[in-house]
Amino acid sequence: MIPKRHSVFSLSRILAITGNTLTELTRLKVFYVLLVFGLLLIGSSIFMAQFSFQQEFQILKDVSLGAISMFTSLLAIVATARMLPQDVEDRTLYTILAKPVPRFEYVVGKIAGVLLLLAISTLVMVAAFLAVLYMREQAVLQVTAKQMASAPPEQLADALNAVRASAFNVDLIPGIIIIFLKACLLTALTLFVSTFATSTIFTIVVMVFIYFIGHLEATAREYWLMAHGGGLITRVFLAILALLFPDLQAFNLVDDIVAGTAISMAVFFKTALLGIFYTVIYTLLSVFVFYGKEL
Amino acid sequence: MTESSQPGTETDPAIAVYGLTKVFPVHFHPTRKVVAVKDLTLRIEPGEVYGLLGPNGSGKSTTLKIILGLVSPTRGRTEIFGRDSRRVESREAVGFLPENPYFYKFLTGAETLRFFGRLCGMTGATLKNRINELLDLVGLNNARDRRLGTYSKGMLQRIGLAQALIYDPRLVVLDEPTAGVDPAGSREIRDLIMDLKRRGITVLLSSHLLAQAQEICDRIGILADGVLVREGRLQDLIAIENQTELVIADASDELVHEIESCIGRSNAKLLERRKSTTTLERLFLESTGGNDKRSTRE
Repeated sequence: MIPKRHSVFSLSRILAITGNTLTELTRLKVFYVLLVFGLLLIGSSIFMAQFSFQQEFQILKDVSLGAISMFTSLLAIVATARMLPQDVEDRTLYTILAKPVPRFEYVVGKIAGVLLLLAISTLVMVAAFLAVLYMREQAVLQVTAKQMASAPPEQLADALNAVRASAFNVDLIPGIIIIFLKACLLTALTLFVSTFATSTIFTIVVMVFIYFIGHLEATAREYWLMAHGGGLITRVFLAILALLFPDLQAFNLVDDIVAGTAISMAVFFKTALLGIFYTVIYTLLSVFVFYGKEL
Repeated sequence: MTESSQPGTETDPAIAVYGLTKVFPVHFHPTRKVVAVKDLTLRIEPGEVYGLLGPNGSGKSTTLKIILGLVSPTRGRTEIFGRDSRRVESREAVGFLPENPYFYKFLTGAETLRFFGRLCGMTGATLKNRINELLDLVGLNNARDRRLGTYSKGMLQRIGLAQALIYDPRLVVLDEPTAGVDPAGSREIRDLIMDLKRRGITVLLSSHLLAQAQEICDRIGILADGVLVREGRLQDLIAIENQTELVIADASDELVHEIESCIGRSNAKLLERRKSTTTLERLFLESTGGNDKRSTRE
């Protein structure tokens, strides 16, 4: 028998686990979330017909981007929380790790599967949102053109430009990227919690707490610093707290963007790097804990 | 012995266990501990079928998990074909079927084998041909496109055995391979194990079904409370040295009387005379048509 050669790292093994995770989530019908998103869009469009076009576009962006943020966060937590405990309970993990598969490849393959699902879901939701926004913009443009048919050309052009300006805004793109990175962060954090959690429900409960703490943390920190000042111990404590509970409010750039506040590229890159940093750190911590786990 | 990081040689044992001890802590009781396996030493040669027997909780599954690198030993070490089993590459020649496996219910039989094949680095036509070959071997070709969620217990065990064989392993580890399977399914799995033996594949199986282990194992080890209490060749362990059995077909009453007279005239003693019987399993299979049901059960 010729001894078989084992490679320390294999992209093909990771892709096999990634593909399998994506297939699992797809067949669990998690994409039904997208259907709910679609219904929300249609519902809000009907509701908004009574407002001015500026208000309509504002609400459409608010509702859609808020829903994209909520659904991607929800998907990230729920889809990730069940992965490890389920594989242990069904003993599929034993069968996988009894093959020449290093544990880090299993963890990376699994998280990549969820991130791929999130990327597809975000793209579909964003495409649906932009399509609805475009259709509404065209409808409003037509109505405006009809209403101002007798107005001077410059006035008509100004009015049409005002409609276009209040519809799609290129600043939305960085905001959407940050929403996706927030979901990536939540995925990695959920995976980390699930490496030492005993059940799916425990992981979800812990993540709900972290989610709320993460959104309230910035306000609490500001209050604390105002009330008690910022000594060394306080700053170390806050840094540890920030590692355990990432400041999720910092990832809500879309609120400002929708409200019309321009986001500088510096803020965007800083927030994006923070999201990537947290995602990588939590993934590494997951690999570390998983290596020591007795199965 | 070879260096642990090097591929094994033909002279290395398929499995070597040296002074293995595993102690589990008890949650919320820092001072209490459970000794699952105590100072276990084993050597399984290539081509052997070795049965690790013992009651529930005797340490069989823990031993198998340590051998496969799923659990770390408290003391001692294990090797697979001369390679430390904590190293990932030691498992490239191993197929494993855990006790009561469920696998991914959302995958079909063929998809399951494709997934495990890809984990072993197999692709393209090689993988496709291997999947077809294994589905034929375990009699699941008719159910290849059905999701595992609809499989019976016996079918799950058979697809489990197929995934264990996907990369043509030199060692197959089976944890309670027939637990919960009906007699016909159990016999099919036993026949598959016998086939592995004929092909020179080493098999390590844990079981508490003694009759079945007796049929297929070359050597056995009996674990009780984590300690290996008996070990050796099956025939040596169960033979009764001062007794001999004769099984005679078409013997007349006169011939039987003559043999009994001969025994009476010697110092030997006739302990029992009885008609040969079939086994209950064979009777069951003949009555239920289990011998030729595989193709129609799916």
